[in-house]
Amino acid sequence: MDITENIQNSATVLGLTGRLDGLTSGTLERKVDALLAGGAKRIVFDCGQLLYVSSAGLRVFLSSAKKLKAAGGSAAFAALTPAVREVFELSGFTTMLEIHPDAAAATAAKA
Amino acid sequence: MSSANLTFVEEIVLLALDDETGALLPMPPLAFRYALAGAAICDLALLNRIDTDPNQLVVLSKEPTGDPLLDHALSAILSVQTPLRVSGWLNMLSEISKTLEAAALDRLVARGILRREEKKILWVFGTRRYPTVDNQERAEVRTRLADLILGDDLPDPRDAILISLLSASHLSDKIFAGKEFKARSERMATLAKMDLVGREVAGIIDVVTRTLNASLPIGM
Repeated sequence: MDITENIQNSATVLGLTGRLDGLTSGTLERKVDALLAGGAKRIVFDCGQLLYVSSAGLRVFLSSAKKLKAAGGSAAFAALTPAVREVFELSGFTTMLEIHPDAAAATAAKA
Repeated sequence: MSSANLTFVEEIVLLALDDETGALLPMPPLAFRYALAGAAICDLALLNRIDTDPNQLVVLSKEPTGDPLLDHALSAILSVQTPLRVSGWLNMLSEISKTLEAAALDRLVARGILRREEKKILWVFGTRRYPTVDNQERAEVRTRLADLILGDDLPDPRDAILISLLSASHLSDKIFAGKEFKARSERMATLAKMDLVGREVAGIIDVVTRTLNASLPIGM
């Protein structure tokens, strides 16, 4: 999985490409932890190119959202692909997490 | 010792025991077996030995965990060459659930959380109970999960797994039985959905229960 990073409207947008699973979730987790340590308060996970998310991936998404909330910030998820949306809906993540149609909407929204 | 030091298998065993008598709390048929199987899968997942999605379980690493209980489960998984859905793995691991339970009880006794008591019933039949010695572990996890159910915070992934397994085995009905929890049934259902393995355990237990009920004579 590749991760791109850019800043939009004071939010850090992480663009995820490929598969988020047990082999790649650690990389994302370390990235989020580094951003948190650097004071990031709003992280948007742009899932527009994310083809697959496993249980390990869901755990990293959840723990990231929780860590951000604990730090007084927030996480948002944008542009869910059909495969990712299906897993989010199955797991109830669509009711527990902030979801937006695209990164622009996510960065424009105030948490 | 924090309950975070216990495996899911140990936590499920601990929470499945009555505080006073040390006997298993009532559960649907085979629920405990499947809850333990699910707990073992979740333990291996958090140790990055396996991963799951709605369709499959994938082995990430064959390296032993160093925990004999979990390595027994990992060996069982590695011994099967045919890819299975998560439900298939749960069925397979439920076959070794007695071993998992026994190992977890031994460890909880060794840690001083439970004690082992042999009781004689009707002077003929022996039975073993595990009354609590130190209720701190159980109390801590119950309080943490209760706060999660009654509040609106996001769960830690570990707590999401635990609630999912407790809900699937109907242990949550016994542990969180008060009116305040009944008023939060929707929240509980949402939390219980959040782990895929827990959802599969719930599905299997539901099928088993319905199958058994369907086979009972009318009027029972």
